[in-house]
Amino acid sequence: MALIETVNIFQNYDGREVLKNVNLKIDRAEIFALIGPTGAGKTTLIRILDLLEAPYSGRLFFDGVDVTNPGVDQLEVRRRMSYVQQRPLVFTMNVYDNIACGLRWRHMKSATIKRKTEEALELVGMTSYKDRNARTLSGGETQRVAIARALAAGPEVLFLDEPTANLDPVSTSKIEEVLTRIIREQKTTIVMATHDMSQGQRFAGRIGVLMNGEVLQIGSPGDIFSSPGNREVAEFVGVDNILSGVIVDKDNSLVSIDVNGRFIQAISDYGVGEKVNALIRPEEITLSLSQDISSARNTFNGRITRIFPLGPLVRIEVACGFPLLVVITKRSAEDLNLTIGKEVYATFKATAIHIIRS
Amino acid sequence: MLTVLLGRSLVAFLATSQIGIEGGDLNEFVQGFVKAFQLIITLDPQVVDITWRTLAIALSSCIISTVLCLPLGSLIHFRRFPGKRILINIVQTFYSIPTVVVGLLVFILFSRIGPFGVFNLMFTPTIMVIGQVILVSPIVLGLVISALSGVDKGLFETASSLGASRVQAVFQVIREARYAILSAVTMGFGRAISEVGLALMVGGNIRGFTRVITTAISLETSKGDVELSIALGAILIFMALLVNIVLNRLQQK
Amino acid sequence: MKRSKILFALVGLLLITLLASIAGCAPGAEYPVAQPKARFKIATTTSLYDTGLWYYLEPIFEKKENVELDIVYAGTGAALNQGKSGNVDAVIVHDPDQEKPFVDEGWGINKRSFAYNFFMIAGPSTDPAGIKGLEPVAVFKKIAEGGMKDPNNIKFVSRGDNSGTQGAEKRLWANAGYVYADIEKSGKWHTEAGQGMGPTLMMANEQNAYVLCDGSTFTSYKGKLALVSLVNKPSEATLNIYNAYAINPAKVKTAQIKVANDFINWLISPDVQKMIGQYGVKEFGGPLFYPISDPTYPAIPNLTDNMKPVQ
Repeated sequence: MALIETVNIFQNYDGREVLKNVNLKIDRAEIFALIGPTGAGKTTLIRILDLLEAPYSGRLFFDGVDVTNPGVDQLEVRRRMSYVQQRPLVFTMNVYDNIACGLRWRHMKSATIKRKTEEALELVGMTSYKDRNARTLSGGETQRVAIARALAAGPEVLFLDEPTANLDPVSTSKIEEVLTRIIREQKTTIVMATHDMSQGQRFAGRIGVLMNGEVLQIGSPGDIFSSPGNREVAEFVGVDNILSGVIVDKDNSLVSIDVNGRFIQAISDYGVGEKVNALIRPEEITLSLSQDISSARNTFNGRITRIFPLGPLVRIEVACGFPLLVVITKRSAEDLNLTIGKEVYATFKATAIHIIRS
Repeated sequence: MLTVLLGRSLVAFLATSQIGIEGGDLNEFVQGFVKAFQLIITLDPQVVDITWRTLAIALSSCIISTVLCLPLGSLIHFRRFPGKRILINIVQTFYSIPTVVVGLLVFILFSRIGPFGVFNLMFTPTIMVIGQVILVSPIVLGLVISALSGVDKGLFETASSLGASRVQAVFQVIREARYAILSAVTMGFGRAISEVGLALMVGGNIRGFTRVITTAISLETSKGDVELSIALGAILIFMALLVNIVLNRLQQK
Repeated sequence: MKRSKILFALVGLLLITLLASIAGCAPGAEYPVAQPKARFKIATTTSLYDTGLWYYLEPIFEKKENVELDIVYAGTGAALNQGKSGNVDAVIVHDPDQEKPFVDEGWGINKRSFAYNFFMIAGPSTDPAGIKGLEPVAVFKKIAEGGMKDPNNIKFVSRGDNSGTQGAEKRLWANAGYVYADIEKSGKWHTEAGQGMGPTLMMANEQNAYVLCDGSTFTSYKGKLALVSLVNKPSEATLNIYNAYAINPAKVKTAQIKVANDFINWLISPDVQKMIGQYGVKEFGGPLFYPISDPTYPAIPNLTDNMKPVQ
């Protein structure tokens, strides 16, 4: 049985629908990432799951109990969960007291409180900050205190809302270290909202894509990133090449798609005549100056129209009957001496293409 | 208020010193201060009695007012109800209600012929405390609500998300606002200790029983006996200074 | 969190101590802690208060009767009102015009006169209105005329309250042919202090003005004033009798009639009459008050009845 289950959750703010028909199941001890653009409704959904907000309609089950039922003691259920907000608010007291708050509210014995607080401090590496005024901490330190505070009471579920969104890279990696440690050492279920797809990919066992209040796809990171279920998800997860075309030929699962007069070979179960989108990740495309004889089924020649440096990588736009976005290393680009207007060959495997209905 | 009182004392004293028949004006002036200093140093029983009573009455009214207004202020702040804005405005209007108006109200209510006359409280320190509670409560209530409003709105939810019950979360907000709330009480104390109209009207300025610093200064000065007034005035200024220092420290936190 | 519990306990302790101390006693006072004594409240005219007579008599009465005597300072009119409101159990006043309805309507009973003095007129030593030694009627005429002509030099300060002194003053204006209401409006030479006798003297002193005052208060302010006594002859017109009344329990149910009667009887007892006559003699060279039993001046007609204790 899932630990948390939502059934047809809707939420309205001032008549505006912010969550539509959300159906989710989150299992015990799983790491679930909720990804989506800002304003998608991730925070709203988490607040509903943490019982801070009541949904407009729909039901929410925690450990099998319908918590949207008025007879249920919501405080008891809420005490089994914890939530670290995007910008956590620390109380005006020292770090130790901040962390001990939740434990005191649960009326634990003082020896237990002491032990759990110190364990939490140790977990996030903030033991030496015990007596510091929590208000004087930096962003990263505050985040760690907030996490320790949330974990001290040993919740069954930890909600994290964009845990590293406002932090510099060093603090971000520190927080991710902490998260890794938590995941390794404890059996807490974690629901993490993030707009950083690579973060979601790294930590999550499953990902839910939330856009405009709707859950568009749920699956493993691999599924989401390589096989986005539809165009919006694809655009969000960084599949830059979405080519529309029609299946004109089929041989077992190998299909031939007509895209603007050129033909792409891909693997799909859809039939001839179907309008589809071919999704290709930019990293899956290689460039060469001459036609390669390789196992790749798709090779197209075209001209380079734009070149974007991207740190250690380069993003290249090639016009080959349809626009293709390619990402290669800077080194490779220099080796090939790529310039705008140059004629190149873009090659990619049939298996690198993900086909979705149009 | 304090400056006015002191100003009046000073003027009256200066006027008195003009009648220094023998010895010259300056001599009398200085003599007054010297005698006042002596009264304080030697812990003159009248000075001690009046000072102690002033403190006891003002502190009691502040504490009682806080006990009443902290829960009431929390209630008003945390609940939504129609007319909330108007209520808060009314409370703020009464911040500077004239002390004699409160005195009049208390007199009407607690005079023997009044509805609460059966308690026989006129001219007692108890009625002075009651009056000061009425006087000071708008300030304490209004500033408590202000203090609570100054706490980030998200704090209540943060506490809830960490497992606080509604009551526990309310207390956490109050804890966050503790310095501002203490400021509110301190301001109430400042007002209580420096008012004279109410104390005079309902206390009767009875020697040894309801005489406080302000009423004593008022009486002694108008009779031309200023040594006691100066001594008490100095003590009152000292207390006002203390209040100010405490307030400053609290507001900086 | 433990810190806040301790703080809370301390505050609670402080509160209890304070409330207890208010209810019971305060350091610096001689009252025992055990039981709060009964409180007997009187309202007295300011002229008696400002002379310090009550400071002198208060502890004697308190010891004798074992009650706390609370003395509230109020002009005659205000004192009578406090009596009617039941806030005091006895009143000490000196205004026949106001006392009459007070008795007729049944508020005040067991009237006893216990002391008297005479009103006098004080003023600047230069005496710009030239009233020294004149009879009261002439005095007030000259002051009014002089004041209206030369308001910067000839001034008068009235009590301006419902006091016995103000009442006497009104009668004196009337004798001189003036209605007090007209005097009030006639110019800036005349001001009202709106305060007790002592403060009114201080105000007149500051303005270098003439003022009507009872002899006792003026004497007790010797050395504090630049004003001098200009008209001070015992006469019918300036006679000032102090009366004590108990508040009628039939009209004010809470009036403590027994203590009030004890108080009144105490005032007319021979010992206290003697004390009243001796008050201030050493300090000021002469008595401030004449006890009612003093035959020097026949102050009241029915002296024997007056000296009979209340039953």
